[in-house]
Amino acid sequence: MTENASSVPDARHQIPLPAARRGRRKSLTAWLFITPAFLFYAAFVLVPLIMSLYYSFLRWDGIGEARFHGLTNYITVLTDSDLLQIIGNAFQLVLYFTIIPVGLGLAVASAIRGQMNGRFGMATRTILFLPQVIPLVAAGIAWSWMFASTGLVNQALKSVGLSSWVKGWLGDFVWALPAVGVIGAWVLLGLCTMLLVTGITKIDTSLYEAARLDGARPWHEFRYITLPGLRQEIGVCITVTVIAALASFDIVYISTQGGPGITTTVPGLEIYRLAFAHRQVGLASALAIVLMVLVLLSIAPVQWFTRDKK
Amino acid sequence: MAGLSLKSLHKTYGKVEVIKGVDLEIEDGEFVVFVGPSGCGKSTLLRMIAGLEDITGGELYIGDKLCNDVEPRDRSIAMVFQSYALYPHMTVYDNVGFGLKLAKTPKDVRDQKIREAARILKMEHLLDRKPGQLSGGQRQRVAIGRAIVRQPEVFLFDEPLSNLDAALRVDTRMEIAKLHADLGATMIYVTHDQVEAMTLADKIVVLDAGVVQQVGSPIELYQRPQNLFVAGFIGSPKMNFVEVAVEAVDGDTVTVASKDVASLRIPANSTSLNIGDKLTLGIRPHDLLPASNGAIVGRVSLVERLGNETIVNLELSSGAAWLAVLEGDQPLRIGESLILSAEPQKAILFDRNGLALLRAA
Repeated sequence: MTENASSVPDARHQIPLPAARRGRRKSLTAWLFITPAFLFYAAFVLVPLIMSLYYSFLRWDGIGEARFHGLTNYITVLTDSDLLQIIGNAFQLVLYFTIIPVGLGLAVASAIRGQMNGRFGMATRTILFLPQVIPLVAAGIAWSWMFASTGLVNQALKSVGLSSWVKGWLGDFVWALPAVGVIGAWVLLGLCTMLLVTGITKIDTSLYEAARLDGARPWHEFRYITLPGLRQEIGVCITVTVIAALASFDIVYISTQGGPGITTTVPGLEIYRLAFAHRQVGLASALAIVLMVLVLLSIAPVQWFTRDKK
Repeated sequence: MAGLSLKSLHKTYGKVEVIKGVDLEIEDGEFVVFVGPSGCGKSTLLRMIAGLEDITGGELYIGDKLCNDVEPRDRSIAMVFQSYALYPHMTVYDNVGFGLKLAKTPKDVRDQKIREAARILKMEHLLDRKPGQLSGGQRQRVAIGRAIVRQPEVFLFDEPLSNLDAALRVDTRMEIAKLHADLGATMIYVTHDQVEAMTLADKIVVLDAGVVQQVGSPIELYQRPQNLFVAGFIGSPKMNFVEVAVEAVDGDTVTVASKDVASLRIPANSTSLNIGDKLTLGIRPHDLLPASNGAIVGRVSLVERLGNETIVNLELSSGAAWLAVLEGDQPLRIGESLILSAEPQKAILFDRNGLALLRAA
């Protein structure tokens, strides 16, 4: 009896579930795993994004009654000359935030490629990464002092006989935006160099040796081995720095507050002003959505060009 | 094509000397193999010839040209790396033609040379692929193609077969041998695999701890090793050694014996020997034969049957572990006693310094 009774559940366990039921159970398990992460993502990314999109169609001061405003906010963003200049400022910053750190990062990584092991490599990496761990506010303040009329930059210019170049850089209509760009480039240089140096150490050194035997000179090694070998790291650097430029806020806020005039105002700063100073939440949201689209459009080709083609 | 001359080459890293004065002459068109255990300096020596490592001391001539300070690109050499070193983002066609492109070879000439190399190496169908789409053997062929397309005076191979499986290694080894026969170029080949060394080389250079132990033809090294290291390194399975004492010295023969070996009369250079001297006796596993009146007795500890031959692991009475390679399938069992004889002509005696007591050839 006992043997028979114990054999019944075993037999039942061996009956396979129908395929459809098995599929449903698998699907349910998968959803259970995904749900916690999805809830966090929805709460902190999707809901704010959808709310911003919703606000962008409203005329609302953030407190009182909101009224549907159609596409008026978007038309304003795309036609208002000040807002267009502000968007243009962000794209000018891309030149500084991206080209300088990626270019210098590549040069540094190539130069110290052979010395990455040991104390020298460790010290170099630490020094180059230092700007990245300094709070942006502190960096902004420090550079504001250095760019001031009596600051380090002007003192250095005077000491080499370039007194005619001395000016209040961050207050100059022509030079304020490049000066902000230099601050951003300094901050991002560490990150880019770190990424590129790490990437370059992964390139098989025998490729460089084979190239030397094939007749390559340093420029050829850079062109045919380093650049293709760092394709993905360069892609990450460009993506991060382009986003940092287009969505910049803190460096500009601390160093110039967008001035003089609106020569250094960027969309991030303008969104803050429109929403909290001018109480134009709808217009601020529309600018934020346009900024997001511009960021995505700027990054898409970078991602495409730097994808792994091996 | 060109020969090479290495005169007292030295290489140090800080205070560590890894190449300790290598003198070597390599004839034009010769296939020379550097062989030795890991860390012996063979790859370093090859890289010094390539120009990838600075020469600390001595002189390196390629042809008649002193090349100590000549850039790798100007040495007229090509090198095949262990890791293949193919440019991952380039097609096979571009990989093979990269050197020619840098040399600004006209496009039509370049194309002709690449396709000729591809034909020789039977890889025409691979030209449009990238290295990531190739097998290990195909990658190695591309690496060889990249070397031959430049028509260098000297080919260097740095353990080129190490990453291939056993079957492919045999095939590629034969291809390299054929390539040498076809091109007639000077080739220097580094390996730690003495089978590769024995099968490919015109001349083998055995290195240990940065010092050349012996230079000679494969058979010369096998039959007349100059010291214990070479005797142990060349030959597979490795030579058996046991300590013996001199019982008698008689002109060109020495009679030795020990706890493990009954009296054996071995032809040897006996000029400096006295009765009672301790020597090392070396006998190759292939030179041992089962014989009821043999001089060596051991207990079988393991039997490995390969079909055509049987490898017998023996434990001698002193505890020394020996190997015997016997013909055919031998009906031996673990634990049983086995009596072996050795042909005295093939046994070698080594003095206390490890130097072979060879008679003049």
